[in-house]
This record gives sequence, C-alpha cells and structure tokens, in this order.
Amino acid sequence: MRVSELASIIGCECVQEEYADGSVDSGYTSDLLSDVMANAASGGVLVTIQAHRNTIAVASLVGLAAVVICNDRLPPEDMLEAARAERIAVFRTGLSQFEVSGRLWIALRPRDA
Amino acid sequence: MRTLVDLHNHSCLSPCASLEMSPSALCRIARERGLGVLALTDHNSARNCPAFAEACGREGLAPLFGIEACSVEEVHVLCIFETLDEVLDFGAYLEERLPTLPYDPAKLGDQVVVDVDENVLELPQRYLGAALSLGFGELCRAAADRGALVIPAHVDRGMFSVSSQLGFLPPGPYDAVEAVRRPAAALTRGLAAVSGSDAHYPGQIAARPFVVDMPEELTAPRPRGGSERFGPALLGALRGKLGLREVRAAWEREA
Repeated sequence: MRVSELASIIGCECVQEEYADGSVDSGYTSDLLSDVMANAASGGVLVTIQAHRNTIAVASLVGLAAVVICNDRLPPEDMLEAARAERIAVFRTGLSQFEVSGRLWIALRPRDA
Repeated sequence: MRTLVDLHNHSCLSPCASLEMSPSALCRIARERGLGVLALTDHNSARNCPAFAEACGREGLAPLFGIEACSVEEVHVLCIFETLDEVLDFGAYLEERLPTLPYDPAKLGDQVVVDVDENVLELPQRYLGAALSLGFGELCRAAADRGALVIPAHVDRGMFSVSSQLGFLPPGPYDAVEAVRRPAAALTRGLAAVSGSDAHYPGQIAARPFVVDMPEELTAPRPRGGSERFGPALLGALRGKLGLREVRAAWEREA
C-alpha cells in the first residue's frame, strides 16, 4: 500500500498533502510518544489522538510515513507545518484508534494471516 | 514586598528550547523584565543549574533550582529545590531512570550544558525529553520526600499534563498546580494555582510570572556572587504563601 491510498482505505481526510508517497507496510497505535519512539517501525503509519507537533518530532525520528489523528481531534497549524517540513503525511478522521487500526490491519495483514 | 516569581523556565539544555537560552541570557532578560525569584526547570535534568546559580548571583536574582520531570504517563511535574546540591542529586536520580533511546539532535533538538560564560561543557547523549520510568505518583513522592516544591505543570493544557494524560488530578503531595488559564476546580483540589512562563525562547521570558508578597530580606537586590544562602528561607516562605493561596496568577493580576 502507498501513503496516498490511506485516505480511501481508512476513511480519513488528508490534512497535510506534501509528503513522500512511499510504501507503507506496518502500523503502530499508541497515545504515548515514548512508546512510539521505542517501538514503532520505520516506514509505518502511526494511529493516535496526540495532535501536536511533538508527535511529528517523534514520527520523524522513527521514520514514520504518515500519522492518522483519530476521534475528530484537530491538528494545529504548527503540527502540520512540521509535518510538511519532514514530508510526513497527516490524516484526520472521526473514527477511533480501534476502528482505524482494524481497517489498517485488514489492508496490511500478510496474505496467510 | 510585591515580587514576581517565575518557576517554569527552560535553558539550552532542554532539547525543545532555543540555543539562545543560556542560563546567563535567561537571568539577564529575567532581571531586565522585573522578575525577583526565578527557577530553572529543564526537562529531566539539572545539568545547567550550576551556571544558573552563578548567573542569578551576577544579576541579583533570588534563585530556586528545579527540574520539569516527565512521568512514565508523560505528565510533566515541576520539582523545585532550595539548593543546588539537592537539585543535582535529584537530577542524577532521574537521569538513571531515563530510557536509552536513539537520540538524534537534528530531529529532537540540541541539549547543551554550558557554564555561566556560555562555554559549552557537555552534550548529554541521552534524550532528556523522554518519559522517565517513574509513575506520576512515585515521581511526585520522590520529589516531595527530598523537600521539593511539587507542582504539576500546565494542568489545563492538552498535552503532557494531568488532564491530557490522566484525565484528573489524583491525590498527591502537591504544593500548588501550574495552569495556563484559570483552571477548573477539579484540576486544583483546592490548591493554589500559579502561572508560569514555560519559557523556551527569549521572547517568552517573564511572560507569565505570578505575584506574591514576600519578605523584603528575601527579595532585595543581591550582591554579585554566590546564591546558595538565599535558598532555604526563600523556598520555605514561598511554600507558606502557596499553602495560604496568597498568590496572584497571571490571569488575575491587576492591570
């Protein structure tokens, strides 16, 4: 899957469109940034409600391709600016982390899982 | 005597703060803007407190020595001590509880230990903005047991606060809470609510101090030089004022 396919697969709106449209092969769901820093995999998607620029700093450190902000939380402009500078896509949705993770899992799971 | 107190300030040691925030620059600007009592509160570390002590001496400010510690739940707490020795001891205790994560200054910001003349002494290799392996309650108790003022930081902000991470303020050994606006009663538990600048850039220094009436001998201009002797009486007096809620935060100061 590519980053640009996330919007239709998850059902979310892209709010930061200046991203590198790389391939996505994993996801990580967490609202604790220290946990994301320690455990998320490079090239993946982060599913979270942490809508602030620190999330982008962590995403950039880990090498995440995209961040999905759940539960209708509104990413502030400085978060989007930071994401633009790092070419990380930001999506926004009214769905919960559970629902987004479920949809991502179905899209990304290995064929034999 | 009416005194402006600001207990929440970062220096260039905090990865998210400007490199312009040397302890000497912080203290010079704080004095120019009329602060009387100043605390340095870098994230999870006290390594710039020695330079801060000297800089306060130079500027004639009354110093307190703090750390903004980050609990495992990612709640920030201001832990403010009377003396340099105490904060260095607590800082060492906290740094042992920092995770060993990959730290890239280009992504997360520089962490610079300097002396009072802005010479670089050290670039700590652990990421100081990380969460400690200490629960919020455990962290507050450890600070209180060592005699610190314990003040949950920006309790009404949407990140790194008791409201964003826990949803409420659990019972604990707090002297006050710090808030951005007049906080809801549920977030104060009847404690004094103080404002703080949380200064990361020079422009933010002295933006949101609180006002307290302090004994003149604790706030009179200091001679240049050492600062340690101002500590104990000052922290005790401040604790008393907070306990009686005899403070005016930025949102209720007179025009």
